[in-house]
Amino acid sequence: MPPDHTPSTADWRRALARFVAVIPHTRALGLEVLEATPEGVTLRLPWHEDLTGDATRGLVHGGALTMLLDTACGAAVLPALPAPEVCPTLDLRVDHYRPGVAGQAIIAEARVVRVTASVVFTEGTLYQQAGPLARGIGNFVRLGPRNTPPGFAEALFADQESDRESDHG
Amino acid sequence: MGDGFHDVEWLARTREAGDVAAWLSLIPYARRIGVSAEADPDGEGLLFRLDPREENVGNVLLPALHGGVVAAFMETAATLDLMLAAREPRLPRIVDLSIDYLRTARVVPTLARCTLLREGRRMGNVQVTAWQEREALPVATARLHFVLGDPSAPRRDGGA
Repeated sequence: MPPDHTPSTADWRRALARFVAVIPHTRALGLEVLEATPEGVTLRLPWHEDLTGDATRGLVHGGALTMLLDTACGAAVLPALPAPEVCPTLDLRVDHYRPGVAGQAIIAEARVVRVTASVVFTEGTLYQQAGPLARGIGNFVRLGPRNTPPGFAEALFADQESDRESDHG
Repeated sequence: MGDGFHDVEWLARTREAGDVAAWLSLIPYARRIGVSAEADPDGEGLLFRLDPREENVGNVLLPALHGGVVAAFMETAATLDLMLAAREPRLPRIVDLSIDYLRTARVVPTLARCTLLREGRRMGNVQVTAWQEREALPVATARLHFVLGDPSAPRRDGGA
């Protein structure tokens, strides 16, 4: 990120849209970024038949929910740091309140609870129309500027024409 | 009517035959990420495998598998292992999962083995270890709780 410029909410939304579009798994599933601020992020996973975990009963795979929580909590880490760092997941806990149902998008809200010198503590919740599906608690390791590839922040905020809008085909 | 997890007779028959592939055919997300299972050559249970697919990548810089995909693989393994190892045909529904990421999961085949630590009347506890090159160097460990449902009971909407 340019040193003389604090990213706006729109900057962060675009940066995280780029972040999830660079991840092959979430790009393939069409994950969208609705909101992104240092206080938290909101993502939307459109419905896809491949998210099904029980074709007989039309239920979402619990692992797809875990994947979404990992992604949402990991995305929430970036705007909460003084400068973007690579932060792998240390551990993740997911509580399933009710099964997700096939045919509906899933909304993920995630926020950073606490940042320390070595760890970022996060939590997230998934929703469908009926209400909350699952809660996740994810801890992420701060690798620090020394282990973050040069150009990481610049790549997030690069002003590329090709991803001005979310249509990646 | 029809084959499926709610069909007690089908569940008992596929379970008797150890037909885990029939169960996987009803789990589209497991198929998408490339989960398969075979009889464990070194034990009595199942050995699970996750294909190193390009669409399973979560970090293109390293590159590394998406941690959430590894978790979904391990949850699938735990569910299928429990369905096979339980004393009678039961339908597990996940209650919670806790996963520790120990090493970077490279884009190579990932294997997993499960241990059913407890099978109660209502709850099951499964421990899963996933590794790549060597089993002694796991990439992740997980433990999961499941509610063990009676497949013949009508499904109740709502919480676990």
